[in-house]
Amino acid sequence: MSVPDSEQSFLTRHQFLIYRLFSLSGLIPVGAFLVVHLATNASVLAGAGTFQSRVDMIHALGPLLVPIEWAFIFLPMLFHASVGFAIIAGGLPNVGSYPYVGNVRYTLQRATGMIAFAFIIWHVIQLHWMGAALGGGRFDPHHATSSAALALRPVGVSLVYAVGVLSAVFHFANGLWTLGITWGLWTSPAAMRRASWVSVAVGLLLGAAGLGAVAGMQRVDIEQARVIENRMDDVKRMLEGQTPATGPAVRRPAVVPATPVSAAGTHPGR
Amino acid sequence: MIRAVGDGVVESREGEAAHGDGAAVQPRTIHVRVLRQDAPGGESYWERHAVPYEPNMNVISVLQKIAERARAEDGRRVAPVAWDCSCLEEVCGSCTMLVNGRTRMACSALVDRLLEENPGEIELRPMSKFPVVRDLKVDRGRLFRALERVKAWVPVDGSYDHGPGPRISPEEQEDAYPLSTCMSCGCCLEACPQYTRIEVMRHEDESEEDFENRRKAAYDRGFLGAHAVSQAVLFNGHPTGKMIADERLSALTRAGGIQMCGNAQNCVSVCPKHIPLTRSIARAGRAATVWAIKKLFDR
Repeated sequence: MSVPDSEQSFLTRHQFLIYRLFSLSGLIPVGAFLVVHLATNASVLAGAGTFQSRVDMIHALGPLLVPIEWAFIFLPMLFHASVGFAIIAGGLPNVGSYPYVGNVRYTLQRATGMIAFAFIIWHVIQLHWMGAALGGGRFDPHHATSSAALALRPVGVSLVYAVGVLSAVFHFANGLWTLGITWGLWTSPAAMRRASWVSVAVGLLLGAAGLGAVAGMQRVDIEQARVIENRMDDVKRMLEGQTPATGPAVRRPAVVPATPVSAAGTHPGR
Repeated sequence: MIRAVGDGVVESREGEAAHGDGAAVQPRTIHVRVLRQDAPGGESYWERHAVPYEPNMNVISVLQKIAERARAEDGRRVAPVAWDCSCLEEVCGSCTMLVNGRTRMACSALVDRLLEENPGEIELRPMSKFPVVRDLKVDRGRLFRALERVKAWVPVDGSYDHGPGPRISPEEQEDAYPLSTCMSCGCCLEACPQYTRIEVMRHEDESEEDFENRRKAAYDRGFLGAHAVSQAVLFNGHPTGKMIADERLSALTRAGGIQMCGNAQNCVSVCPKHIPLTRSIARAGRAATVWAIKKLFDR
């Protein structure tokens, strides 16, 4: 008969549970974070002030931000990626012999997963404060729009962002459709077709938000954004009962420093 | 087993269309490239054969011509190409092979059609997901082992008469019938990117029984495959079969179970019987979800 379960490794014994958690983690929290993240970023289209206030809302979490980031974003993402790479290693794509739509989607799901993973690593190093040690960490939560816009200014960087964001969006939208089959939400071919349209709509909407954010960062007038951010920063300081970092007489120059803003130590943020 | 049964003229639903009405001029000779292998675990090699063209041939009749000639295209005497077949009408599931790179039944692969898509040459390979026994003949034991794993049967054995079984409504019959047409041909497995080859070779000093156990253990870690998932759904929907529904769900959620499906949906695209395999997989997924949650709270 078959091998008794007790003689199998932990990972083999719990394969079903691990794969289901993998499937779930793609939706919650990783997918949910992607939606919130792209929606937040797309707010830059409404102006530097709007984006800055969205970022301020997130950073209002203060010291809770770091544990929340790790518990709901980084660790689930690392789990999803680890299992994902194991799944990719166990498969044998054959889209050349069987070029059906579903098979193309299967192959793209794996390709975009790997592209999105590489992109996210690079993206975190480039902008997140943790990446400062590696020459990145360029995002300054107090000057959200100007620091992000400056980092994305080179056209090549924006193109990488477009590819990375679209990969993540395809991976999420297509993953939504396969998740419904995996968990048995849509079982008939007709229901799968309907779900497929919903996934396409979700993908188009999120793709538009993502590309909108990248394009919006390109459009930003960095000096003007800097002025708005300084003013908002002063208001925040006054509300916290501190004196503004600079008095009205000595306004900070609207020139943007070329080096990363050194707010990292005091303001852990993304 | 090689069965050269004369000129195998096979009736097929695609038969009529094969007569080319003023279509491209039919060739006098069909060139066939066969990927051969002399023994399990041996080296494989390509061999070219030439067969005189006749109208309405299928791949089986081409293989019979090759066996008849027993010569390669260059005139060398060679052993006839070995292949499996039986019913010649796409219901036994034994003649699965890769024809022009795609998995299908050799008996329903009509030469006139094949020459339309690839003029002048036909390429034949054994299935790539199963151990080759010889030439185009493979050992599909893992396929049948998967049916054992999910207990793809109705448990009626016993020492006394259980009486008549419950009635099955016409709706249930209509739902179940397509699933019952599965002929274990393995096309769904061959086309599945998640189903990868497992080949266990017998050691020199190993007993037949030890080898059999080792091979079963290796098969049992591998993916069940779409056919077995669909059969589990068929028998879990049967009023008597569902008496051991939990045992089937337990098999579906063990290592190599339904979670290995990657939703490429090639299975349903290549199935010669047009079985709604992805519907079965999604239904099994739903049943597995409910079962896993119940198990979590009931223990």
